[in-house]
Amino acid sequence: MDLDLGILGQQILNGLTIGSMYALIALGYTMVYGILQLINFAHGEVFMIGSFLGLGTLLGLEALHISLPIPLALLVAFVVAMAGAALLGMGIERIAYRPLRSSPRLALLITALGLSIVLQNAVMLLVGTEDRTYPEAFTEALIDGFDLGPIHISYQQLFTLGLALVLMVGLTVLVQRTRLGKAMRATAQDPVTAGLMGIESNRVIAYTFAIGSALAAAGGILFGLTYSINFFIGYQAGLKAFIAAVLGGIGNIPGAMLGGLLLGVVEALGAGYVSGTWKDVIAFGILVLVLIFRPSGLLGERVAEKV
Amino acid sequence: MRRFVTALIATAALTSLGMPASAADGVKIGVAAPLTGALAKMGADIRNGADLAVQEINARGGIKGQKVSLIIGDDKGDPREGITVANKLVQTGVLGVVGHLNSGISIPASKEVYSPAKVTMITPASTNPELTERGLKNVFRTIGRDDQQGKDAADYALKAGYKIAVVLHNKNAYGQGLADVFKKNYENGGGKVLMFDGIQTGDKDFTPVLTRVKAQKPDLVFFGGEYQDGGLLVAQARKIGLKAPLMGGDGLFDSLFIKLAGKKAAEGSIVTFPPFDKAGAFAKTYKGKYGAEPGAYSGYSYDAAKVLLDAIAKAPKADRVSVMAQVGKTRSFKGVTGTITFNGKGDQPGFKFGVWRVQGGDFQLVTK
Amino acid sequence: MPGPLLRGKAAMAVVFAVVLLLPHILRFMPQSDYLMDVAITTAIYVTLAIGLNVTVGLAGLLDLGYIAFYGLGAYAAAIVIHGGAAQAAVSGGPGFWVALPVALAVAAIAGLAIGLPTLRLRGDYLAIVTLAFGQIAKLSENNWDWLTNGPQGMEVAKPLLFGAELRSPYVLYYIIAVIGIVTWACVRNLNNSAVGRAWVAIREDEIAAGAMGINVPKMKLLAFMTGAAFAGLAGAFFASKSGFISPPSFDFIETIIILAMVVLGGMGSLPGVILGGIILAILPEFLRSLPSILQMEGSFDITPYRMLIYGGAMVLIMFWRPEGLLPEAHRRRELHPNLAEGERKPVGHT
Repeated sequence: MDLDLGILGQQILNGLTIGSMYALIALGYTMVYGILQLINFAHGEVFMIGSFLGLGTLLGLEALHISLPIPLALLVAFVVAMAGAALLGMGIERIAYRPLRSSPRLALLITALGLSIVLQNAVMLLVGTEDRTYPEAFTEALIDGFDLGPIHISYQQLFTLGLALVLMVGLTVLVQRTRLGKAMRATAQDPVTAGLMGIESNRVIAYTFAIGSALAAAGGILFGLTYSINFFIGYQAGLKAFIAAVLGGIGNIPGAMLGGLLLGVVEALGAGYVSGTWKDVIAFGILVLVLIFRPSGLLGERVAEKV
Repeated sequence: MRRFVTALIATAALTSLGMPASAADGVKIGVAAPLTGALAKMGADIRNGADLAVQEINARGGIKGQKVSLIIGDDKGDPREGITVANKLVQTGVLGVVGHLNSGISIPASKEVYSPAKVTMITPASTNPELTERGLKNVFRTIGRDDQQGKDAADYALKAGYKIAVVLHNKNAYGQGLADVFKKNYENGGGKVLMFDGIQTGDKDFTPVLTRVKAQKPDLVFFGGEYQDGGLLVAQARKIGLKAPLMGGDGLFDSLFIKLAGKKAAEGSIVTFPPFDKAGAFAKTYKGKYGAEPGAYSGYSYDAAKVLLDAIAKAPKADRVSVMAQVGKTRSFKGVTGTITFNGKGDQPGFKFGVWRVQGGDFQLVTK
Repeated sequence: MPGPLLRGKAAMAVVFAVVLLLPHILRFMPQSDYLMDVAITTAIYVTLAIGLNVTVGLAGLLDLGYIAFYGLGAYAAAIVIHGGAAQAAVSGGPGFWVALPVALAVAAIAGLAIGLPTLRLRGDYLAIVTLAFGQIAKLSENNWDWLTNGPQGMEVAKPLLFGAELRSPYVLYYIIAVIGIVTWACVRNLNNSAVGRAWVAIREDEIAAGAMGINVPKMKLLAFMTGAAFAGLAGAFFASKSGFISPPSFDFIETIIILAMVVLGGMGSLPGVILGGIILAILPEFLRSLPSILQMEGSFDITPYRMLIYGGAMVLIMFWRPEGLLPEAHRRRELHPNLAEGERKPVGHT
């Protein structure tokens, strides 16, 4: 097979685009897991709801005849969706997870699962089952692109990658340089000692959920601008994002970013060079292999079995 | 003690399911379609078409003085749900069913449920040839078959000068079947298929496959599948700079295809679908009642219901076997979609698919 | 007043009687065919719930890909009955009765295949990996056209008994009833044996169990394989009884439904999951029939709310009665220590 570098480059770009959306969702999974050792099954639905909040905002602006320039309208959508998702995430934690913290692990997992089903179906009953797209003005705005050698880059892809990068850098700064970030890291590392040091773990946990949810919502808007959305995308994308988080090393923030991008690229190469119908199998296969041979993921610490 | 109570409750619950349905007498027919799920819009089109026919006949006094009831079943586009719904319709006493939409549901439901119960099934939308190749006497369709559709599509593509193509499908019973037929006919006619691959229906990101397609530099991209995938597919094709037109079958023939793709991306897409008059009387009546343009299958569903009701009226006895035999005798029935005659298999011989093009945000008929 | 032992046995006798005589009871009801079909579906679900109970309830292994065993059993049976891959004649093979043990074996091997690599994985990871396996199975069924006929699905012949085709739901019911009873009996025996106790020990504290001399890997594998085997049997029956199978029937959502049954009934409790299975299998049909029972006009269909109810039930159970409706006494004590028998406090408010 003649390896055309141009096509390879294009596929990698394709992969990075969807991968950055995976990464934004994966960050929420990984942060919550780092602090609570819990797989927040409902997180995928937060992504989906964030996407619908964005759509709702844009449609609302239209309905209210508020005509804003596209970047401003998008900004409003992002703010609304991210804030709404943050509240939702905190609400989920407060109402569903906190009361059960002393329960057996299985109970928490099942609650998370049940909650995810409830959210999914609640949204379905609200918005219907059909695919929806963001208003044409916004989806068309970024369709054009430019050519960088043999590779065609659309402005939409550029926007997606750029925004994701900005958010990820922002998160890194928050975690590494701020007091809240320090508190988050401390609580993740050793909640008891952190508590002794005066860190209020409940508040830190709440913020963790809030931030993770906001990032997922941002990913949701990017997703909605690029593709179509329905009530089911939370399950689909959520699963992929979780695989990404595990791939990178769950609990590890740079790991989630790396995992997301890597998974996107591997998926793209698989669909591009092998077959489109095996795309998901490749993704799931990766998950299985990673968990069998290197359960701590690419960047995680070497832990044979977490006690 | 607990288990005893359990058993009692279970039996009581089970038996309460069989409580007699509402005492509405009269003639019952059913309509089964995906009223929820990705294809809900097409499902609603089918329900409305049948509903319109039933309302009209009731307005004229019903059949032999009896009111006609339409029992509605939602098969959700899922084969198992479809079987359950079919069972329920049969048990409710319907004389015939208009439905389903998905070939993947019509095929098992017709054989496993409707056939043993001698219930006539007339599908307005299932195009898989397999449906009428099994010798079942209770299966009919007002729509055409994919072996015809794929051939008509291939003929047009070659005539229009598209010499090299890529063929994609969405790996479901309908999409893959149609793509196979197209490929066979296209290659037989001298066309060259550079690539044949599938995408996962319900997935959102098709750019990797499309990038590979673009590298082949085809004249045409044929896609077997429904509009929720097709719309995204053509939108993403344009985004990566793939300019070749997208061609597809009846599964794409819906305004939602254009909406999901965006007017700009959908422009120039080619879709096979039987020709019909968009401004006719049927369209006006339909719009007045349901507030929307008739969808792709509304007319076919309407005609299917009318054929069924007509057969019920003409049958010597109002029982399932007689109705089935009467439907089989349908010759030159004037429907809104054309003149309907069923052959021995339940198909309409000589059914032709026309070709439409998306122009200015709407479908325009190109050839008959 | 008869002692508890006799009461328990009398209750069981009644249940058995109902189960075995059900077709004869239902035959006289209106819409009896439909009722019989619901009964069969319920029996399938109960069998699956008992099987999942072994893996999740007894051994504490959250297998979210459980439905894959059901699907593999169904396809194995379909292929055996076809006498080859999808394109062969519909009933060119050895038939249903040979297909049953083959399906059991295929599913059990699959259980082994999934259990082996996941032995070291903890609860959350295990859940996701098994979910992934389940999806891989379904996608493979859809993609391997040469073997499974892909999305077009496979027609499957009905079981033959002494040359006669068994079509009637009243007769087919007995096959699944027997499968269900056998499943129940096997699990009950395992439960009461050293194996069952080993499983519970692993569920409670894997490391302690190992320290006490339990061969944890072996027991885990046994749990996977047992649960899988019964799902395989149910799948084989489903394939032949339905006459047609296709990949969409074996999706993740089904595992959720079965899990909800296990959770509702009481994880680890055999009578509990049976009750849970019955309730949640009948519920959608009951809701579907509700309008006509209440003499309501129009076709208000409550099935869109079905999954919402399942999910909500799971969450609420975890909050207020995590031990389920009919818990094992052990479980209730575990979740509500220091309470007298029969007394309850919701979890999380200690």
